[in-house]
Formats: sequence, C-alpha cells, structure tokens
Amino acid sequence: MSSTFFKTIGIRLWTSALVLVGVSILIFCIARVIPGDPARIALGPNATQEQVELLRERLHLNESLPVQYFEFVRELFQGDLGMSLYTNRPVTTDIGDFLPATLELVVFAGILMVVVGIPLGVLAARYRDKLTDNVVRLLSLLGVVTPTFVWAVFLMLIFAFYLEILPVAGRLSQGVDPPPGVTGFYTIDALLAGQWSTFGDAFSHIILPATALALTGIGQTARLTRASVAETYDKPYVEMAQAYGFSDRRIASKYALRPAMIPSLTIMGLDFAAMLGGAFLVEAVFAWPGLARYGVETILHKDLNGIVGTVLVISAFFLIVNMLVDIAVAWLNPRIRLQKRWAG
Amino acid sequence: MVAILRSEAWYKFRRNKLSMVGLGLVTLIVLLAVFAPLVAPYPTHAGAFVDFVNASQPPSATNWFGTDLIGRDILSRIFFGYQVSLVLSVVVLVIAVPIGVGLGLVAGYFGGWIDYLIMRVTDVFLSIPPLVLAMAIMGFLEPTLLNAMMAVAVMWWPWYARLAYNLSRSESHEGYVLAAEVIGAPKWHVLVREVLPNCLPAVFTKITLDVGFVILIASSLSFLGLGVQPPTPDLGSMVAEGAQYLPDMWWMTVFPAFAILIAVLGFNLLGDGLRDALDQGR
Amino acid sequence: MRTLKHTVSAAALAAAIATVPLAADAQSVLRLDEVAVGELDPAKATDFADTMLMFNAYDTLLLPAQGTGGLVPHLASDYSVDGNDFTFTLRDDVTFESGNPLTADDVVYSYDRLIALGQGFSHLFRDHVASVEAVDDNTVRFTLNAPYAPFLAALTRLQIVDSQTAMANELEGDYGERGDYAQAYLSANSAGTGAYTVTDHNPQELTLLARNDDYFIDIPEGAPDEVRLVYGLEGATVRTLMSRGEHDISSQWLAPEIIRALADRDDMHLFTESGTGGFYIKMNTQRAPLDDVHCRRALAHALDYDSVIALIQITDEVAQGVPANGPLPAGMLGANPDLPVPTRDMAAAQAELAQCAYDPGDQTIEISWIAEVPLEERFALLMQANFQELGFDTEVVRVPWALFTERVTQVDTTPHIGQVYVRATTPDPDALIYNMYHSDVAGTWQSTEWLNDPEVDALLEAGRSTIDQDERAQIYRDLGARLVELQPTIYAFDTQSVYVARGAVEAETLMGDGSNSYSLDGANFMFRHMDVQ
Repeated sequence: MSSTFFKTIGIRLWTSALVLVGVSILIFCIARVIPGDPARIALGPNATQEQVELLRERLHLNESLPVQYFEFVRELFQGDLGMSLYTNRPVTTDIGDFLPATLELVVFAGILMVVVGIPLGVLAARYRDKLTDNVVRLLSLLGVVTPTFVWAVFLMLIFAFYLEILPVAGRLSQGVDPPPGVTGFYTIDALLAGQWSTFGDAFSHIILPATALALTGIGQTARLTRASVAETYDKPYVEMAQAYGFSDRRIASKYALRPAMIPSLTIMGLDFAAMLGGAFLVEAVFAWPGLARYGVETILHKDLNGIVGTVLVISAFFLIVNMLVDIAVAWLNPRIRLQKRWAG
Repeated sequence: MVAILRSEAWYKFRRNKLSMVGLGLVTLIVLLAVFAPLVAPYPTHAGAFVDFVNASQPPSATNWFGTDLIGRDILSRIFFGYQVSLVLSVVVLVIAVPIGVGLGLVAGYFGGWIDYLIMRVTDVFLSIPPLVLAMAIMGFLEPTLLNAMMAVAVMWWPWYARLAYNLSRSESHEGYVLAAEVIGAPKWHVLVREVLPNCLPAVFTKITLDVGFVILIASSLSFLGLGVQPPTPDLGSMVAEGAQYLPDMWWMTVFPAFAILIAVLGFNLLGDGLRDALDQGR
Repeated sequence: MRTLKHTVSAAALAAAIATVPLAADAQSVLRLDEVAVGELDPAKATDFADTMLMFNAYDTLLLPAQGTGGLVPHLASDYSVDGNDFTFTLRDDVTFESGNPLTADDVVYSYDRLIALGQGFSHLFRDHVASVEAVDDNTVRFTLNAPYAPFLAALTRLQIVDSQTAMANELEGDYGERGDYAQAYLSANSAGTGAYTVTDHNPQELTLLARNDDYFIDIPEGAPDEVRLVYGLEGATVRTLMSRGEHDISSQWLAPEIIRALADRDDMHLFTESGTGGFYIKMNTQRAPLDDVHCRRALAHALDYDSVIALIQITDEVAQGVPANGPLPAGMLGANPDLPVPTRDMAAAQAELAQCAYDPGDQTIEISWIAEVPLEERFALLMQANFQELGFDTEVVRVPWALFTERVTQVDTTPHIGQVYVRATTPDPDALIYNMYHSDVAGTWQSTEWLNDPEVDALLEAGRSTIDQDERAQIYRDLGARLVELQPTIYAFDTQSVYVARGAVEAETLMGDGSNSYSLDGANFMFRHMDVQ
C-alpha cells in the first residue's frame, strides 16, 4: 500500500507542477493582453514618453512574448517575481505580507464550512422530506443564494453596527501589537506565545469575515452532502445494512456518508480553494489586509508582476488543496484505491 | 411507456410541497421576465430615464420598492433584471454544461492519456481565480452582454468537467457498467447510455445551483464595467451598488437581493424536485 | 446545530475578552482613511494619500501661504531671484529624524534622485531646471534654462530627503554609484524633517505616524501623538466605524448620501477643502459632431446645471462643488470673475444648433463615465436626457479608469464626452490647465478634448515665461475667456472636497472660511494643524 500510495502522490506532484507551468503561461499572456500600457499606468499621466519607454525596456515589454516569458522564468528561479508597479515594492514582499492574513481567513472559513455544512447535510438526508430537511434546505439555500459581499455587509451591520459586539475592521484592535510571527496567523501565533488577550482580540476580528466567507460554502456543502447521502440511502447496501438492523448513526457515518462524500469532497475542495481568490469582497468590507484584495487591485492597475505573482500563488494553493482532495477521494473510495493498487 | 414514466415522475415530484413551490416561483419569474413590459408599473424606467426629483425615495404607494439614486422604480427594474439574468444564465449553461460534462465523462471513462490531457487543461483553467479569468477574457473583447456570457462560459465549463469526471470514474466501476462491458457493448454506447444517465442527477443539482451563481458572477463582471452595460437593469449590479448606501437606503439593496434570492431559491427547489423524481423513476 | 451554537458562544466569549480594556493609552490618536495605495517614496508620491504623507513626514523649501495664496519660505529661511538663478538660504535649526542636520547637499541629493528616478513630480522640473548646486552648507542654487514662472510653486513638491541616511541604505541597482537610490528603503521608511515620522508602513493597509517633538516649528499641544492612516476602506465600513466612534476623519470619496447620513449626527461635522480644481465635462473637439464649435456650445447651453449642483449638495450649506464659470476655480491666480456662470438655456442651445454643420439626428454622442466614480453615472444620464432634447442620439458608456486612460491616447477612441476631476498639482494655474489644453500634450486623461488652438497654446506658453504675477493673472484671464468661447469643455463646477470628521476633531486648515487653508490639495492635512483633544 504505502509504496503505491507515495507513488500516487509523486505523480500528483508532478502533474501539479505541470499545471502550474500551464497556469503561468496562460496568466502571463493574459496579463499582457489586458488593455492599457502598464508602464504608462505605473508612471502616471505626467511622465514623459522617454520615461515610459525606459520602464517598458526594464520590464522587457518591447520583446516578444516568449522572450518575456523566458526572462520571467529566469528571474523566478532566482526567487524574484519583480517589482509591483502598484505598490512599488518587490512582489515577493507584498505576497509575504498579505498571504498569511488571507490564508488565516480562508482556513477559518474552511473549517466552518466542513464543521457546520456536513452535519447539516447528513441531518437533512436522514430526515428527508421531513420538517428538519426542509428547514436545513431553506437555510442552506439562503447561504448559497446570497452574494458573499451582501452577507459581509449585513453581518457587519448587525453585529458591529447595531449590536456592537464584534469589531468592524482589520485583524487586531488599535493598540494591540501583533504576536511574534511564526505562522503569520495571528490567532495561532498568539496561542503559541501564550498571549491570551491578543488571541481573543484576533479571534474576535476574524469571526465576521470568516463567517461571511463561509456561508456560501456551508450552504453548498450542506446541499451536496444531503443530495449524495440521500442517494446512497437508496443504494442496496445501505438498505441491506438497515435490514441487518445496524444503528442509524453507524449507517449514517459508515455506509451512507463515506461513499456519499466522494462527489461532495471534490466540490468542497474546489470551493475551499476558490475562497482564496473569492475573498476579495469580504476583505474589502472588513478591511482585511489580504492577498485577494491585492490581486484585484493589481489587475485594475495592470500591475504585470503583481498579477502573475498573485495568480501563481493562488493557483499553487488551489493545486495543493486539490491534490489533497484527490488523495482523500482515493482513500475514501475503496474501489478506486483498489484499482490504483492493481495499476501500480 | 414514456407517458407512464413521465406521469410516475410527475407524481413523485408533486408529492414534495417544496418542489411545487419551486415550480411556482420559477413559473412566476419566467412570466414576469417575459411580460415585463406589460406588468412593470413603469416600463420606461428600464432604459435611459432620469428623475432626480424622485430619486432615492423609500417604498411608497407609487413605488412599492422605492426608487434608486436616479429616480427609477426599483420594482420595474427588478422585472426587467429577471429578463437579463435568465437569458444570461441559460446561454452560459447551454454553452458550458455540454462542453464540461462531455469532456469530463470522456476523460473519466476512457482514462489513459485522454484523461491526462483533458484534466490537466481543466486544472489550468480551474486553478486561476474565476474573476481574474473572466476579467482577462473581457479585457480583449468589447464589453457587451454577449461577450460577458462567453467569458462566464469559459470559466464555467471546467467545473462541470471536474464533476462529470469524478462521477464517471466512480460510475465506471459500478456493476451495471462492468456488466454492459462484459456483454460486449461498444464503449461509446456504454458511456452515453449507461454512464451519462447515472451522472445526470448530480449534474442537474449543480445546474440548478448554478443558475444563481451565473447571475452572481455576471453581476460582479457588470460591477467592474465588463458585463451588462447600464442602463440595462442587472440585479447583481443593483445589489452591489446599493450596498454602499446601507443601512440608510436599505431598499436599494434589500429588494434586488431578495429578487435574486427568490429566483435562485425557485430554481434550486425545482431542480431538487426534478432530481428526486427522475432518480426514483429510473 | 450543536456545532453552530458552540461557534456562537465562542464568538461571544471572544468578544468579551476583546472588550477588556487594554493597557491605559495616554497617547492621542487620529484615525483617517484614504484609497490605496500610500506611496511613501518622495520621488514617486503623487496621489492624495501620498500628498498627505509627504506634507507630514517631509518638508519642502517653500510652502503655500495659508489663506492668501502665494508662497512662504519653509525649510528655506530666505531666497533671492537673479534672472534664472534662484538662491535659497536654508534654516540652520532643522534636523532630520536621524538627528543629521539639514544641509544644501540634502537638497541636491533629493533633486537628483527625483530626476534620476523620473517618476512622481519630476515632470515639474526636468525640462526647466539646468542645474542645482550646493553653494555652501547652507546655500543652494537652482539655475533654470529659461524664465519659468511656475518654478517656485513646483518647489512645494520637492521633499527634502536625508541624504546620509538614504545613501547608507542604498542597495544594488540600476543607478551606478547610487545603486537603487535607496528606493527599497524609502518606500518603507521616512527620512525627512517632518512634524511626523513614519513608524510603520504597508502601502495597501496602513501607515502609522508618530509626532516628532524635535520639529523645528512648535507643534501645538492638541495635535495628535499618533496618526493611523488606513487604506481602502469601503463606504459602509467607514460609516460603521464612524458611528462607533472608532474613526476620526473619512476620505473625500464617500458618496454624498453617506456623508449626509453621517453629517446629520450631532457628534459629527464636515471639513472642506476647495479652490484647487474643477469637474470638467470634456468634449472631443476632433470627432464629429463636436468638432463644430456650435454643436459644443449647444450642448453646453442644454446642460441642466442646477440639477448637477443638486446632485452634489450634501447639506443646505455644504456641497461638493460650486458653479464654475471657466477653467480656473474661483480664487486661483488668473481666475476670471467677469465670465458669466453658465445656465441652462434651451433657446440659446437651439440657436447654436441651427448654426452647427451637423444634423443632430444623424449623430450618436458617446457619453462616458468612469466606473470607479458612481456619481458620474448620474451626470451621464442627466446629459443623456438633456442632449436628447436637442435631438441627439446618445449612448452612455461605463469605462473603467485603466481602460479610459488607454482609450484617450487615440483621437478616434476618445469618447465624445469624458468626465474628469482635475486638481492643480502645485499652487499655480499652470499646473492645472497647461496639461489640459496645450496641443503638445493632447491625448492624456487630462486632455481628452484634443484641443489644437494656436491662440490657446500661445497664452499657455506666455503664462509660463512671464514672471510678473499681475501680467500672468491677465494672461490666464484672457485664456479663460478664449476657452469659454471655444467651449472644448463644459465647466460644470469648481470642486470642493468634503470630509466627515468626529466632532471632537478640529483642523484650522479645513474649517471655516478658508483663511487658514493652504491652496494645495492635501496640504491641509498637515496633522500638526489638527486638534484631537
């Protein structure tokens, strides 16, 4: 088992690298097709034509696309993603600053999505067509059909504006120093350093944005789980298990949930990974200093290096999550796992 | 035979009250959209119309849902907004679903290098944030409704490919498929007649969910100036623009958001009902 | 469901922890916001947020005078003009935040750096200044190529950098001996003489500034000890923060409705800043039918100016602008008070239209508005309604800013109508209108008129080369009259920036009749003039 399992992972790693190259080529071309002269936009309307030409030269913009790409890859291997034309800082610095904040937000939202969404879905499937089912379906639908930024604004209005029980913006209250950076996640760093009040502060700041970001995913997860579990409840082996008189709980977790998780898990993985790119509006509303906001700004400012760098990081994250999901799918579905073993 | 099956499915469908509610909502929305010029209290407000004197008015007897910043009746614009949203969603899904499901099924069922090639291309598209991809596509196209639909479709098909791929991979090891293969049925035949129908319930579920998502994504595009062009009403843009005036002018956000919610709710309930009915009818 | 309950109670717990008062904080803090990003490098700073940072962390040789217009010495204690030579004597009591004393070498370094990097406000100097040299430790001389009247005003944009600190922090780079010209260092740290020093800077998130008690001018007691400048807050977020008393001054970019809602509260008041620019409805003078002056005038007569003003009205007293009568805002050098304020006059519009060579029915006029400025959609729709009354077919187009700047580089893709806010970058009329109307600089977002008029060009050049201020004023008055006659632009209103502030915050430069205001946008946000006690 273990050797084939690692071989599977090895193949997945190789494939992911290949896809990442594909992404880099695609986004590299796209970044250069968005209208607007990046050098002109970066330098502002008062710059002279010579200055613009100079910057175009420095960015290799007068070269052909393949040459530009080659230059980009060469610099990438030196750990250099170039200067952001938007913030005037190295893109790697920007990403290093903004990525942990977004990751923390996305991880919290992902946890909410799984911990709330799956039980709701199983509950609905177990009591299909009963009141519980209908209530869960309506609630999860509400989550799914309301735009994330509307959730963000409404949550902020309710909990920060009217009730005033949660903070409005940022990652920490004014006057609270960030905990010593280990992971870049303020909550975890604060725990590691034993700073309880900082942890409480960081945690209270992340609740609203993470919830706003997670609500769509929670609804989606609950719905998918319900659909898949409901379907497997009709499968002969579950009916048989019921006939054997296995307990409801055992049937739900072992026979109904596990196979039902396969399609759900795939979609959940995609949803989770997509959060990193979709966090933009939440980050904007809660003034969360994250990467998604940076990414959209770089597009609007046609910041070539910023766009390519951000998209590469988001894509890498996406691919890693996906790889983990695929491995989980292989592990959950004995038949696929078996086939892998034969194939190996 | 078909009639019996249909009536049996219809019976199953009718049994669930929520499904009927969904059918009712969808019917209502489609009717409102089709007959918007007749039922809207102020049909001219869907186009270029300015009345600053009556701008930003809260709901009243003359404007049930209030007016927007330009003095247009929000109720009327919601009806016309349904028109745009429905057309957009249908076109996007009509393009994206067959491409995605087709590629996903082929990849999952045949495996080998076809699988590898198709799924890696899918991965490339999937791993770029959707909004970035759509913005980039819109970057070199004129910002029109049609191009917005193309852009959304391009970012949409990989999701179906991925779903169909996983389904067909797991289905292709089910007993009935193996049985069909053993008795020597041609692969294409097995794919279309055995694997595809069994993947449809999940695809249906996703389609019903997606009608709403297409509306949402298209509206983010509109908001960035790349999709539906004002003054054509768009529900998503109405919500996005109104959101900055909360809570004081709540009606600009709440009613369009509610309209989106009702539409997506309707399609979801309908889709769920269909899925259950078809599933058990098989 | 149980899980959900857990989450909620955990949230309540966290909130309880968070509200435990933190260590007593005697520091007074000023919190405000602007759009991202904040550029801290003096050689690159141009935007509003950048300007705020510059006027607090750095100083310049001259400053705009408060209230009166004109310039006053600042880092310079005195200056003399001899033909094209400008000699500045530096104050001897100024030190940088590093403790280094200010010397003439710092001025030379700052100037060389600005020109070498070629960004920011380098265009104000590069074609006009021949040389800058340190005569001695305390004296610096600028020599111009030719008479250039806007030069002194431009010096309000030359921030003086601590050359020793900068040189100690130069990394490898493209500038030979100067390495990267300390770009990496100065984009993250301040190295100035300013009343505030930057303690933390993240260009997309937040800049923290702390009061510099060694400043060469006494800072009043009430000025904030610390300033938190936050970037990129949404309107709804600012509104919530302000209602909770967690924010002091909003940005000027809030929608009028939000400002109004906040201003209605007793614990808020409004700050204003005006006299530096206008809102310009620019017509492409090289595309039919607007290449005919009569068609342009017809449109200008047809616009409902009262409705435009009503749209920017915030309270009975305060609006985001006042009716304009020409290219220069009232109060600026050369503004022409004799020009009439335009009003809607359909009879006059029809009369002009009759003389226009084009038949309105054959023409579609493209009215663009900038996607990032939702208010412009309302102006666009108003114009659409007004112009349709003349029989013109119109098309309203939303254009994102980046696309707009690209489209205006070609005559054929420049929309018939563009709407742009323009503000003078220095306290001098040249900085406002040269880049709008000189035929050499057509095809930028400021000059979407593509105006090509020899008389206008000549007046603009005369305005630059004439030194006497009274003569210059007359030149710009003539220019204003000529431009109103040519009507390349509909002068809709002189802009006034409006900010919401917490009642406890006062700022002499942003309140009252403007008698303490600087005639340069953003300079009024010198935090040393504010009182947060």
